[in-house]
Amino acid sequence: MSMKRLALLATAIAGGLAMATPALAQAQNTLTIVREVDSDRYDPHRSTARAASEVLFMLADTLVSLDHDMTSIKPGLAESWTVSPDGKVYTFKLRSDVKFCDGKAMTADDVVYSLKRWIDPATRSPVRWRAGPVEDIIAKDATTVEYRLTAPFSELLYQLTQSFAVVIDKANVEALGADFGVRGFNGTGPYCWGEWRPRNDMRLRRHDAYRWGPPIYENRGPAHIQEIVWRIVPEENTRLAAVLTGQSQATQYVPYSGMAQIRANRNLRIVDNPAAFWTYFIGFKVDKAGVDDPAVRRAMVMAVDQEAISRDINFGETEPAYSYIHQSATDWNKAVDSRLIRTNVAEANRILDEAGWVRGADGFRSKNGVRLSPLAYGFTGSTWQKLMETVQGDLRKIGVDLRIQLFDATVAWGKLATQEFDLFGMSFPYITAGDALNLYFRSTNAPTPNRMNWKDAETDRLLQTGMTAVSDAERAAAYGQVLQQVHDAAVWIPLYHEPMKVAANSRLAPFKAHNIYGCGFYKGLDLRFTR
Amino acid sequence: MTVVTANEPVVAPRRYGNLRRLFRDKLAITAAVLLILLVLAALLAPWLAPNDPYLTNTRLRMLPPVWETRGRWEFLMGTDGLGRCMLSRLLYGLRATLMMGVVATAVGGSIGLLLGLFAAFYRRLDGLIMHLSDILLSFPAILLGLSFAAVVGPGMTAVVISLAVATIPTVVRVTRASALVVMGQDFIEAGRSIGLNDRTLLVRYLALNCISSVFVYMTLRFGQVILLGSALSFLGLGAQPPVAELGTMASAGRNELFLAPHIAVMPSLVIVVLVLCANLLGDALRDMLDPRLRHT
Repeated sequence: MSMKRLALLATAIAGGLAMATPALAQAQNTLTIVREVDSDRYDPHRSTARAASEVLFMLADTLVSLDHDMTSIKPGLAESWTVSPDGKVYTFKLRSDVKFCDGKAMTADDVVYSLKRWIDPATRSPVRWRAGPVEDIIAKDATTVEYRLTAPFSELLYQLTQSFAVVIDKANVEALGADFGVRGFNGTGPYCWGEWRPRNDMRLRRHDAYRWGPPIYENRGPAHIQEIVWRIVPEENTRLAAVLTGQSQATQYVPYSGMAQIRANRNLRIVDNPAAFWTYFIGFKVDKAGVDDPAVRRAMVMAVDQEAISRDINFGETEPAYSYIHQSATDWNKAVDSRLIRTNVAEANRILDEAGWVRGADGFRSKNGVRLSPLAYGFTGSTWQKLMETVQGDLRKIGVDLRIQLFDATVAWGKLATQEFDLFGMSFPYITAGDALNLYFRSTNAPTPNRMNWKDAETDRLLQTGMTAVSDAERAAAYGQVLQQVHDAAVWIPLYHEPMKVAANSRLAPFKAHNIYGCGFYKGLDLRFTR
Repeated sequence: MTVVTANEPVVAPRRYGNLRRLFRDKLAITAAVLLILLVLAALLAPWLAPNDPYLTNTRLRMLPPVWETRGRWEFLMGTDGLGRCMLSRLLYGLRATLMMGVVATAVGGSIGLLLGLFAAFYRRLDGLIMHLSDILLSFPAILLGLSFAAVVGPGMTAVVISLAVATIPTVVRVTRASALVVMGQDFIEAGRSIGLNDRTLLVRYLALNCISSVFVYMTLRFGQVILLGSALSFLGLGAQPPVAELGTMASAGRNELFLAPHIAVMPSLVIVVLVLCANLLGDALRDMLDPRLRHT
């Protein structure tokens, strides 16, 4: 078809022009990964974006690591650890052979400094809460760290696998000051800071002394690839063209519409991780007129066709979501399976009729002078534009006039912290039920990230019980009750769970994709060119 | 010496040959006919559209136009990424885009015309108005659009305001230049000497003698406004979903460029035709009304 060929050619040329010059200069052992956005900086305590974590996992290490199954905790910088019977003291035994990129040996003091900087109010880390209720963190000797809590924190080990908990070099932080993570970064990871050209590319060079990779990899170090280039290509079709033409050898940022082309190309393949622990949803502000009616929320959830979104909009590449977290995540409550709201437009219309919401001449419903036309805020870009418009189309079928306002990411986060809207679109990574629930449903987290204004004493009590539980069963029971509570209240419209899918050039040897914080390459130790 | 009376301001004699000249310009006539057809299509969109432009059906998404193998007669121009009828959305999109262009040009042009006339007529205001106009000229329309979108939120209102504001300074300059020439004519002095008030002088003597050149400029500006408005909508600052607007439609279509290029190409083509017609017509009008170009 000539039109399609023309479009393909034009995009390939555009992609080629953007990338050709550096690509020609690339050495054989350089891996170029294209991605959509850059981070504003690479300071683990101040950057919460996935774009930052992707690079930080390669630049630095954590005390413990997460296996590809997204549930098993494995050693990292700590070769072993013990937990006191009351769940308040974690003692980590560190490896003694770890070195920073500048050759300096890593000690327990570095670990203590890093973790204390994370929780220091002066750092103003937005993810400080993830460190738990810390009483103190002490270096008992050069290879022993004691992590003391004021109350048990069942999520601690999972949180310590995240990029916020990486070990950094005090001298490097102090020397660079405000430029830490902007002009340099001295870590213990498999790669070292090369050069960063913001919104263009980040170059990482191999850490040759690296031997302490997590046991989830066959190769514990040093990395096979000499240099990794994270290149920013905002336009999705240009990213696809870059992969198709071999200018990028791997990326997880290929549009769903291009997956079939990748699969059909014998020089490419898809490497996936079925643990779809990244969920897209639309949340309700439960105290706003109209959507404060549980019947309205339930009907709206019921009207949305999640299967059609995954099948048609996402080309069958995602998993329809009826639950707020993936049902294989740790502490999912199986009793909620039968209570999940499934698509049923007729039933949704019946619920609204019964609740007294009457259709007007324009086909949209109102009750007591309140018109059912909630306002939804979201992000600009193809993903949310398509999702919001699809949901808007579904809701028209039950007489709900969804109004949409999409904002650029630079404005959106500020807008999403206001009380101006009735619904909001969001996606988030998680590891366990507690991880997700504590983030979104605690009263103290309103108005953001608890943008639903869900303030419920019972939820808070159960979340606290789950967080301070010392047994798995106790924790699962508490979180399980919260899951049932919020699903029954229809606080979100779950849309889909996104599995990790990495498009890889066949020159790369087989490797496993990870999904920690949505970062498909994690430490990248098994990445290797075969030719 | 010609005697000028107060009730008979001197205006350029009507040129009955102008219309004939316009009709002889085949390109201009084609542009005018196309433009009229497009305006009619936009006005009659609710009756012409074969389907509901907002009805989504993801199972029918990205159907090609009817002349391609997978095309279906019920969707002559195919469907978009959400399964909505492209033809219906093009008709409604044309309506929104034309309305945006007309309102922004009319509002910005009217304000610019008034300010330009004031600058030429009241010399003490000249400096102030022209400095303000220069300041406005230093802001690109895209930047203005971003600023208004940040204040009033993205949407047609923000786009129309920013386009109107961006139109003002250029219209001020064109009007002022034209008005200054008229101000140097004897009949203005004659009007003053017989005691006509400022309003009569401004409206009957000055404005009527400048209006043709300003009108020609606004015709050309209309094309630019459509293009700028579509660019702002392409960036997500314009019409918000599900409202169909040509720039927004082109923007949404680029995500499916590999699989269904018609989604981006069709609204882009309509923009091209619209802008081309407006520019050709503007050029023809300028040729017709400018005596220096009449015999070239």
